[in-house]
Amino acid sequence: MSWRMWSLKKSVWVFHVNAGACNNCDIEIVNLLTPRYDVERFGIKLVGSPRHADALLVTGVGTRQAVIRLREVYRQVPKPCVVFLMGACACGTGIFEGAYHIPGAVDEVIREVDPRAIIAYVPGCPPKPEAMISGVVRALSAI
Amino acid sequence: MNQEELNNRLSEIEPKLTGIERTTDNRIYLLCEAENSYEVNKFLFEDVPLRFVIATGIDSDDCFEVLYHYSDDEIGFVVTLKAFIRDREKPSIESISPFLPGAEWIEREMHDILGIEFRNHPNMRRLILADDWPEGVYPLRKEVKK
Repeated sequence: MSWRMWSLKKSVWVFHVNAGACNNCDIEIVNLLTPRYDVERFGIKLVGSPRHADALLVTGVGTRQAVIRLREVYRQVPKPCVVFLMGACACGTGIFEGAYHIPGAVDEVIREVDPRAIIAYVPGCPPKPEAMISGVVRALSAI
Repeated sequence: MNQEELNNRLSEIEPKLTGIERTTDNRIYLLCEAENSYEVNKFLFEDVPLRFVIATGIDSDDCFEVLYHYSDDEIGFVVTLKAFIRDREKPSIESISPFLPGAEWIEREMHDILGIEFRNHPNMRRLILADDWPEGVYPLRKEVKK
């Protein structure tokens, strides 16, 4: 394991991107940070800038307006980084399949920018906080 | 205002309407053509008076419908005014925003996604479509391919 990967997995700082979500997944993410789940005890910390982040938490279907910003945010994250797609909308396009405001699934948008991006999927509408923690643990142990 | 008074008030505007539909006990649909919608709306909002809830736009094949929903909260009664716009090429209807500023945004939204023009609207700018969305394409019209 290279030192880059080691430091990526040691304490994951995440940046939360809402790419057109209904806020349900976002509320569950906030739930992760409250004392009940408190992911900071695992070293997972929410940061205010993508430049400080090791991982992106993307919620929402990726609307035409939002994907432009999402691409830019992904470019700004120091590599290597992990992209966590939270919720049914971000994992595929969910109930918005074929809708006029969707340019494509979020994972395709990220792969356009970086074909070798590390992407992890946590499905659910919204996913339970336990599922999110499990998704993060599984993804990080698979790297 | 009780039910009977409301019915009496609504009957005053009947000459401007093309029909009345009652589906349930607490709901009434008033049908009118687009030309009369401004007056009927003004009557419902200022003279009856009722609370404006929201408006809805529908593309129904041969015409466009704009539905104005009003509520009498005291007796829990919903009055919906259906205005029919027959011209499919250049659909337009009088805006109700000059006397009802709360309708401004919903009219802008209907203009964005159905292409209905609201005459005399104070601020007809794009509201919900993406910045790079092409002009003149109205996503919720029937002819737009999925």
